[in-house]
Amino acid sequence: MKTVLRSLLILFLLALAGTGYAAPNPTEQMKPFIERVVAQLKASDFKQDTVDNRIDRIVTLVSEHFDFQEMSKRVVGKPWQSLPQTQRQEFADRFAKLLGHVYLDKVDTYVAMKIEFGKERLENDRAEVKTMFVDAAKSIPVSYVMMLKGEKWMAYDVFVEGISLVRNYMEQFKGIPQDQFIPTLDKKLQELKAGAKK
Amino acid sequence: MKTILLRAALICVALCGAAQAEEVLLDDSLYEDAPAEEAVPDPFEHFNRMVFEFNDVTYTWLMEPVASAYSNTLPKDVRQAVDNFCYNLQEPVRFVNTLLQLRFADAGTVLTRFVINTIGGVGGLGDVAGREFGFKRVEAGLGETLETWGVPDGVYLVAPLLGATTTRELTGTALDGLAMTPYYFFANTWQESILIYVGRRVNNISLRLGEYEGAKGLTIDPYTAFRDGYFQYRKQSRHHSTPRVDEKL
Repeated sequence: MKTVLRSLLILFLLALAGTGYAAPNPTEQMKPFIERVVAQLKASDFKQDTVDNRIDRIVTLVSEHFDFQEMSKRVVGKPWQSLPQTQRQEFADRFAKLLGHVYLDKVDTYVAMKIEFGKERLENDRAEVKTMFVDAAKSIPVSYVMMLKGEKWMAYDVFVEGISLVRNYMEQFKGIPQDQFIPTLDKKLQELKAGAKK
Repeated sequence: MKTILLRAALICVALCGAAQAEEVLLDDSLYEDAPAEEAVPDPFEHFNRMVFEFNDVTYTWLMEPVASAYSNTLPKDVRQAVDNFCYNLQEPVRFVNTLLQLRFADAGTVLTRFVINTIGGVGGLGDVAGREFGFKRVEAGLGETLETWGVPDGVYLVAPLLGATTTRELTGTALDGLAMTPYYFFANTWQESILIYVGRRVNNISLRLGEYEGAKGLTIDPYTAFRDGYFQYRKQSRHHSTPRVDEKL
């Protein structure tokens, strides 16, 4: 009986393997997405919009393939477990806006430089897509680290010249008391809004 | 003798291991605290923060405006040529360091770059080796050599004008700098040498205007952000045995 069951199990596993389930290709998903982000940043109506609207528009677009909850979870570290769901969402929303400002700050880079797609790496439900921002004088490597959620690859970290954005913010938040997370982000967002390019 | 052989074997194993290393980890270990033995202590944080502030003010109110004015007087191509020239002068120091680190392939690249750029690039003004022949820049300093030899980092420091470093890296930078002094053949006094150094820095900054302010503006705690950025960048830039991130494309 045991032998029969084992044989059935092996057959079942072989049948599963035979179905040839293939995860969606991360580069194929990221390429049109990044092209749309660049097109948005270059659009004249976008440039003329208010800072708040520009941030909202870019966050809405970027949310398609950026998982801000996963990013925030890593930025906050252990205290994330004790944060109520509402505060987690508040943090993720503000962190998304902070990253929106990163995009606004780099708008000239996006406009002036060409983006080349490189190799991708796949390990189970994680992937890395390498890109390179290139112009005549320099090239800046930018990597997107993603996890598969359903049929979508969602970025949870961005590496610029080998520096993890999430890890960098994680180090900065280590020195901030838990009850100051949201006020700190609010203060930073206000500063960035005041200094944003009109 | 046994110890030397063991050390040589360990270096070989380390080099072979590095060949399989990847810059980006596709798991969550990157977001865990570094083990205590790997973390570089920052016992002088209070003092370092003061030096960081001093550097920030000096950069914002002196170096950047000077570099900005300088960039308005000379076209980018000329400033890039000056940068290439200074970089090329340092290639012999890099060559020695690659040898001391047993990075023979990189040593060959550095030497090839130096010969091609000195002859074909008119004394190193142009980066013909990189542009035409695909020999990308290879970084190697005494700080890294000391690391290869097992010298620990020491403590984290923010040096006036130089910025983020560690005791070991600062020693390496200083000695690399001293090794460069014979190249300052046009400097008669140490004051002139300093002037040349400052000129190089200003020229270099003029090619990266706005980058520092942009990065700093997005941080919540600039000191911590730059300290972490320094260690992350250093770690990534020392994956020599695998092609650099930009070469993987």
